[in-house]
Amino acid sequence: MLDITITIGGEAGQGVQTIGEVLSRILIRNGYYVFSVQDYHSRIRGGHNSVQIRFSDQPIQAIGTDLDLLVCLNEETQIIHQSTLRSDGIIIGTISNNPSISSSVSMIPIHFYEMAKGLGNPIFANIIAVGALIEILGIDEKIAEWYLEKIFQKKGNDIVQLNKNALSLGQKEIKKQQLPRKFLDRNGNQNDKIRFLIGGNEALGLGAILAGCTFYSAYPMTPSTGIMNFISSRSKKYGIIVEQAEDEIAAINMALGASYAGAKAMTATSGGGFCLMVEGLGLAAMTETPIVVVDGMRPGPSTGLPTRTSQGDLEFVLSASHDEFPRFVFAPRDPQDAIDTMIRAFNLSDHFQVPAIILSDQYLADSNWTFSQLKVNEKPQKTQTVLGDHTYQRYVLTESGISPRALPGMSNALVIADSDEHDEIGHLTEDLKLRVQMHEKRMKKIESMKKETRLPVYIPGKATTLIGWGSTYGVLFEAREKLIHLGIDAGLLHFTDVYPLSTDALKMLKSVPDPIVVEGNYQGQLARLLERETQTHFSYRINRYDGRPFFVNELVNQIREVLS
Amino acid sequence: MSFFRNQIEIAWCPGCGNFNLLTALSEALAELGLKPSQVVLVSGIGQAAKAPHYIQANVFNGLHGRSIPIAFGIQAVNPELTVIVESGDGCMYGEGGNHLIHAIRRNPNITVIVHDNQVYGLTKGQASPTSETGFVSKTQPLGTVSEPFHPLALAVSQDASFVARGFTGDKEGLKSILKQAIQWKGFSLVDVLQPCVTFNHTNTFGWYRSRLYPLPEEYNSEDQVEAFKKSLEWGDKIPIGVIYRHAKSVFSDRIFEKLGRKNFLTPTNNYQLVFEDEKHWFE
Repeated sequence: MLDITITIGGEAGQGVQTIGEVLSRILIRNGYYVFSVQDYHSRIRGGHNSVQIRFSDQPIQAIGTDLDLLVCLNEETQIIHQSTLRSDGIIIGTISNNPSISSSVSMIPIHFYEMAKGLGNPIFANIIAVGALIEILGIDEKIAEWYLEKIFQKKGNDIVQLNKNALSLGQKEIKKQQLPRKFLDRNGNQNDKIRFLIGGNEALGLGAILAGCTFYSAYPMTPSTGIMNFISSRSKKYGIIVEQAEDEIAAINMALGASYAGAKAMTATSGGGFCLMVEGLGLAAMTETPIVVVDGMRPGPSTGLPTRTSQGDLEFVLSASHDEFPRFVFAPRDPQDAIDTMIRAFNLSDHFQVPAIILSDQYLADSNWTFSQLKVNEKPQKTQTVLGDHTYQRYVLTESGISPRALPGMSNALVIADSDEHDEIGHLTEDLKLRVQMHEKRMKKIESMKKETRLPVYIPGKATTLIGWGSTYGVLFEAREKLIHLGIDAGLLHFTDVYPLSTDALKMLKSVPDPIVVEGNYQGQLARLLERETQTHFSYRINRYDGRPFFVNELVNQIREVLS
Repeated sequence: MSFFRNQIEIAWCPGCGNFNLLTALSEALAELGLKPSQVVLVSGIGQAAKAPHYIQANVFNGLHGRSIPIAFGIQAVNPELTVIVESGDGCMYGEGGNHLIHAIRRNPNITVIVHDNQVYGLTKGQASPTSETGFVSKTQPLGTVSEPFHPLALAVSQDASFVARGFTGDKEGLKSILKQAIQWKGFSLVDVLQPCVTFNHTNTFGWYRSRLYPLPEEYNSEDQVEAFKKSLEWGDKIPIGVIYRHAKSVFSDRIFEKLGRKNFLTPTNNYQLVFEDEKHWFE
């Protein structure tokens, strides 16, 4: 299997992401599967930014490890990344010889920026770099030119031509060199069905739009801001109010007001912002107002590492806000799953009138996956409401715990919602018998919620079972394949629906052989949840909390250590 | 249509200013010809925040200080509703101060009525953001050292659309102000001076009666600088009435202009068509 990994690094603002985006699209057009990840510092300009592009002729879904090609837009890139270069790797750009670099590495010093100035504008440095890269990789420039036309068409033919010149300049520079390796067939990968490149945040935003979200209020916070950007860019097209709130407290309360009035509403943030939303989450539960909240996790506590990844918020969101109430917790495994899960989160939150929390993380948010098909596998449901008269009671006690929901102003029904404990109408009460009935009404929804949650993805294996949740799916999937290759019959059990766990999921957990729980936190938060729910031990755990995602090769070694 | 709820137990102290405010608001809503189902009363926590439970209308009684974002969300997605916030000085100017500032910027068509008794009632007598310097309470036994917050001066300085002050001792005058505020299209703040008979022994009915005066007829409430001066008057003479008004487009008008939609209760597009359309963006 062809498996090539490229890292492009530079200062923030130097165009690292543009090069990554353009190269990714060109590779996809040539029939390759691409997986790209952004790695950046919390800075607008300066600081070190990099994008890693891994591609293959087979489907891939994880970050790569050893670099075939390193593109340096500044000197720092070489210092930071050269140790991850393969011995037959190539390093190009702003580079210098140094003793720590293996002599078998090919070095191609090119000053993209200086060359671009020669073309009249430093902005062309990015496309010159793309030209150099396609020449090294052996990609037909026609496809690159097609893509340049597609993206620059709007700016006029002159701009298209100037970019084509930049592309060709980059190519020419490489043609002068002796290249040690041939990467690709010039005809591309023949299996070139239409393929889609989509990131986690885009998928979450798209899922929300498909679900029928018409109100989005949030306070910007990395790594969830991309969802807001995506929905904002389509707010006019689809009629969606996107309001930037003064803080996360306002964000969740605005969304709850909109939901009470009848809109499908959501908010998104990261752990620190979720801290501020916690009281609002309890309000959603007490008033039984549907809401979807995305927590894009990053390392904490407090400000932590703003641009890095983590799976540290699971226990937090499971018990966020005081006292008890049911909630859904989902953790999509990739962008396709994010689209579907977002629709389900809206449907289920609306049906059960409970909050639905989606745990994303920086790795899912900022990575792009390739799919041969992009589908919508779930059907968005209309908001379930009733018309009523003066006898309407918002919190009428029912067997299921779900009370028919009327909307204010839609009929003669008066809709009374209260954060206090309340009677069936919704007015505050201190009747303790009623309190018990109301608490039980809310709590008993959890039994029917369990019937709606889906089983984890399960691939049986006799030697061990890797257990994970959320964005680690692709890495665990590939790690399992490597283990099989090494003669270790590993299985995989991976959760998108983290809470509540269905009875069948618990049964499944009790029967899997030699589980190892792999997750991005210190304590093993999923493992602890599973122990509590199944009353069995999950003592083999692999945990990572350095702010970086799991890497397949490292993980395979760690799993082998655990098994030995 | 009557907005009074019969046979209910009211949790306020006898003689509380809240009663007159409750009556004035209920009557104002009826006299404006509104139906209870068209009105949403939003509140947070505190004695004032209980008021919506005593009125026949839709209610969202949410969290302490967070009534404005709730009201904003309701009005944004369904601008046909008459949305009124009832809050106290602690809830609105303490816990919820940030939301007040930003609501002025957004100018949603909501009316915010603040039961301002310069003391915390529900938690039993602590100083509030509007308490006078030196106010003595169990938690401030030496007298509060902070200076009082001036809500009207803040609102006028930030060009809030409608700013008024009422007094619960003058029910008819208050009703007239409330009617104007509710009818006003834009963000309206009505600070209602209201003696707390239990915990505030400084700002009593007598204290207010000797100081309050209605704004004269020739007063020009559309002059922001004059209004700012008026909003600072406090002490021996305190003006009552509509201090400032500035007619301008409201949030839902601005959204309509940008998005071409007024109502956001249902999505406009068929999801499958949306998906087919969006898919190509990722190719």
